[in-house]
Amino acid sequence: MNKENMNPADEKLGALLRASRVSPALPPRFQENVWRRIGDAEAPVLSRSRLSWLDALAALVLRPRFALATVTVLIIAGALLGVRDGSQIARRDAQTQYLAAVAPAALR
Amino acid sequence: MNRSLVIVLGTLALGMVMFGGSYAVSRHVGERCLTQPGNDLAWLRQEFHLNDAEMARIQKLHENYLPQCAAMCQKIAAKKMEVEAALNGATNVTPVATQKLAELAALRAQCQAQMLRHFTEVSQTMPPEQGRRYLAEMQRITLGLHEQTEQSMSISAGDMHGHN
Repeated sequence: MNKENMNPADEKLGALLRASRVSPALPPRFQENVWRRIGDAEAPVLSRSRLSWLDALAALVLRPRFALATVTVLIIAGALLGVRDGSQIARRDAQTQYLAAVAPAALR
Repeated sequence: MNRSLVIVLGTLALGMVMFGGSYAVSRHVGERCLTQPGNDLAWLRQEFHLNDAEMARIQKLHENYLPQCAAMCQKIAAKKMEVEAALNGATNVTPVATQKLAELAALRAQCQAQMLRHFTEVSQTMPPEQGRRYLAEMQRITLGLHEQTEQSMSISAGDMHGHN
């Protein structure tokens, strides 16, 4: 309804109507819904922070110096562990070979 | 899936492959380099840090012992066949089978005593500390298994008595 077209005579009626308007009661679980909406609104911010963390990590691993250092550490660690395990296996095999020669299986 | 995640996961996978590959290759190489097939005494040299003179003495003892050990093994194998023959088809343990079992046990004890005498001789050719360690290790390995078996049998027998 346009305000300019309103009849001034109806002003009294309008005032009466405004006065009789009752402010409605809050719907059930109003407060909970408000917090839920606030939470929803903040969710993209969290995902953005996760994204930036992943981006930073991706950028870090793509740095040549970091990549080279990581590869070197991994290869050296694998080699040391492998040599240690290999020597243990060889030692166990040698012991088994000695025992097989001097102690008959029937006695062990 | 976003690009950063793919990069991070790809890097992790690549790292695991590099570590695994390096581990597998070096383990294989280490095992091959340290294994001396055909040399029964390699373990003694490695484990007890023996020099050439000590190894030469042990080698001589070893060569003297092997034929005695083989002869005893043959006797035990023959006696086992006699035990099997005595038990074959029998519905209970006959006096003959009991006699054969006793002879087999006596042969095994004789073989074991011979083996322990050899271990003692070998230990005496080593430096005292290494000799003690060798003798303890050999007794643990060759007699320990019997103890384990006996212990497990006594435990299971105890369980049975508990149920009775």
